[in-house]
Amino acid sequence: MKSYNTTTIGKSLLLLLLALSVQGCLGIGNNNSSNGPVGNTITTNSSGNKVSVAQNLFKGKIYFTIDHNLWVTDGSSASRELIHGGNVYDPAVSPDGKWIAFIARFKDFTNLAVIPAGGGPLHILLSGNGHFYNDTGVIKNTYYWFAQPAWSLDGTHLLFLSDLQKDFVWYTLGGAFKSSPFLDLQVFSIPFNNPSAQPQAIAYASYGDGGDRDPSYRPAHPQTPEIVYTHYAYDQTGTQQVIQVFLADATAIANHPYTYSPVSDSGVPLTPGSVQNIEPAFSPDGNTIVYVRRDTSNQMSLYVMPVPEGVTADPNSPTVEQKALQPYNKSSHILSGQYVSQPVWSPDGKQVVYVSYNNSEFDLWLANINYNAKTGAYSLQGNPIQLTSGGIDGDSRPFWTP
Amino acid sequence: MAPMSMAAYSRAPLAPMPPGYPGVGGPPPFGQPPGKERKKRRFPIWARVAVSLFLLLLVVVGGLGGYYYFNLATPVSHIVGQQVTGLKGDEDPNASRNGADILSGSRVNILLLGSDTDQKFPNGQYLAQSDIVITIDPATRKVGMLSIPRDFYINVPGGGMRKLDEAYGLGGVALSRLTIFQDFGIPINYYAWVGLDGFIKVIDTVGGVDVDALHPITDDNYPDDVGNKTGDINAYKRLYISPGPQHLSGPEALEYVRSRHADLVGDFGRSARQQQVLSALKTKLNNPAIIGKLPEISNDLNGYVKTDMQLTDVLKLLNFARSLDPNSIQRLILGPPYSASGVTPTGESVVYPDCTKITPLLAQMFGLGNNARCNIQANSNNNTSSLASASQPSATPKAIPVASTWQAASQVADISAMSIGGSSDNLLGFHSLLDLMFMVVFESPDAMQV
Repeated sequence: MKSYNTTTIGKSLLLLLLALSVQGCLGIGNNNSSNGPVGNTITTNSSGNKVSVAQNLFKGKIYFTIDHNLWVTDGSSASRELIHGGNVYDPAVSPDGKWIAFIARFKDFTNLAVIPAGGGPLHILLSGNGHFYNDTGVIKNTYYWFAQPAWSLDGTHLLFLSDLQKDFVWYTLGGAFKSSPFLDLQVFSIPFNNPSAQPQAIAYASYGDGGDRDPSYRPAHPQTPEIVYTHYAYDQTGTQQVIQVFLADATAIANHPYTYSPVSDSGVPLTPGSVQNIEPAFSPDGNTIVYVRRDTSNQMSLYVMPVPEGVTADPNSPTVEQKALQPYNKSSHILSGQYVSQPVWSPDGKQVVYVSYNNSEFDLWLANINYNAKTGAYSLQGNPIQLTSGGIDGDSRPFWTP
Repeated sequence: MAPMSMAAYSRAPLAPMPPGYPGVGGPPPFGQPPGKERKKRRFPIWARVAVSLFLLLLVVVGGLGGYYYFNLATPVSHIVGQQVTGLKGDEDPNASRNGADILSGSRVNILLLGSDTDQKFPNGQYLAQSDIVITIDPATRKVGMLSIPRDFYINVPGGGMRKLDEAYGLGGVALSRLTIFQDFGIPINYYAWVGLDGFIKVIDTVGGVDVDALHPITDDNYPDDVGNKTGDINAYKRLYISPGPQHLSGPEALEYVRSRHADLVGDFGRSARQQQVLSALKTKLNNPAIIGKLPEISNDLNGYVKTDMQLTDVLKLLNFARSLDPNSIQRLILGPPYSASGVTPTGESVVYPDCTKITPLLAQMFGLGNNARCNIQANSNNNTSSLASASQPSATPKAIPVASTWQAASQVADISAMSIGGSSDNLLGFHSLLDLMFMVVFESPDAMQV
């Protein structure tokens, strides 16, 4: 039998130590540097990372952006780039699947545009282009922002955010409303076939904290057209942010002129002001909402809650406000993670796609959602599944179609 | 070539062999047992490998150290110790300090100047968008911060009635310093100047920052002073930054932290945004992988950060700033009611100081007593001598570098030694210079609290 003396063993150990040292110096084996590819590589992003997409994990198509170029990935086949170089934000596909609405961003303004889903020329529905001018020593401008288009259930109207009323003076409200431009984005709608028509205000913003976000129509409830959105405001002292999910009758402002205003909104809060809840998204049946809760400065959680019924007719009634907050207590925690955001339900209501941040990258992740009919609770089934790797836009705002 | 002969190896005639050697008569040599071969004395193999590794490590570390020293020390020498020649009428407040440490002796006033530094200034004749004076009383540890609006319409020595920001464009640090001294009576001991492009470059060098924007940011009158090639130095741009997690490039991060019109709570909200970006940035800067980018970051700072303080002074100052309770800092912004917007006879939009309100406040904050003043009238003897004595405007502050590369290297070594003994995150003093930049860009010592 061959024997090894102590010198040989010592040499081997030293070589091993040397190898480990070199490995440590060079960072070999450090798996914190980037996520491994999860599937087929589709492009290289501006950070120089190869972006890959996992296949066969979902049904339908998911739209998202990489470096603000529009991409779509099909659950069963390849991914493809739909718009390159357009500085694209907030894609939204029409209910009939024929049009993709999106926002094209420029330095001082944005355009609300559509393209045929099957390819074709771009149509600008609303342009925010304008110019600066001097109004007796005060610099003003005629530019506008448009953001986050969302289709009505029948595809005839588009919701969107805008500062279209920034120069409207709410004399009756006084204070800042009378003396400063109202820059906060509010919810409007236009008819898709007549975008030059006067936009209709759907929900007002609170002055001074940036306005509303994430508007969308409630699916499968055509008898009462309702929208959900995030409402940014300050408390009565004007020092603390109050960020809540609101539900509103989409026809309230149009049907009740002079009733509502930025200080007497048509929306009713579904979440309490003590916790910051954002980015609501309806389930396909319109009965539940998935939303994001800010836990800490970078930790966020996904929750699912039922939608209250009959609370939008009289949104400023204290009794109604209390009723609207009840379902929040039945919220089900789904998952938590760094910068978990922008959840969207799958068309069959069994999965949620969302953006999460791992290893210094924003990527899409899938959560399989389990519903317990006995308890009415929702839960995460299994572990979250990474759908993309390499890094997509953190503000990608994915959109899922059948 | 002829074969070498044995004689070629001989350096001296062979000595006769001593007795006792093999083949030679006499007793065996001392200490050598008869019949045994002499064993060579050797270190164990593990010791030799260990020593070799140590030497290799020494060479590698020394090489890297030398590389970084000469890559970093040169830029540092262009950043610190940049003395500025005083103008006629200015005084040297440091003369009475007798070389005292920056945080000892009498009160110290530091002028922080922030400039946009892009292509719209064809001759590099930048304005100073922010003019802030930090005052520290080492005896009481009381700190005050005075923000003077850039549009303050005051007397610029040699330049007549102008906006304050033009003083820098006309005569650099020297004229800015003299203007504040002559118009308000505040003597300036030190200055720090930052070009905003440097902040953008640093953020871009580390690959941007990822933050969760706390709420939508809207601003219709954000100064369009970065990347603006129109030549309009008073141009504005519009901002809309959506809320939620996202990646921010250098220019976007600057917009996120600089906008003043995006919060009802004004500077409190702005401060929260600054803390976010700083936290994200410092996370990246604290990553060991950043060491490879230090030369790049040092070049980002080179030409965009200037101060007449020495590196060790900067470190002491910032350590002091970190130890402060932000709420204890007396802050005075000379906006309304201490000033009012107006239009000059030539139609220029300016801000007029209200001297009756300002003067007593300056007297108290800076301990000026009767020396506090508020000269907002052009002096009759306002000739151009002060302006003329300033050198021509240049792309960077008019500075006389007194710190050589070797001196800078020495300070870097001092800082590194101090870091090893204390806070280890101040690699080669670079975090101090970055913090100084953040303090000027964010216009607040609060930047040190992250």
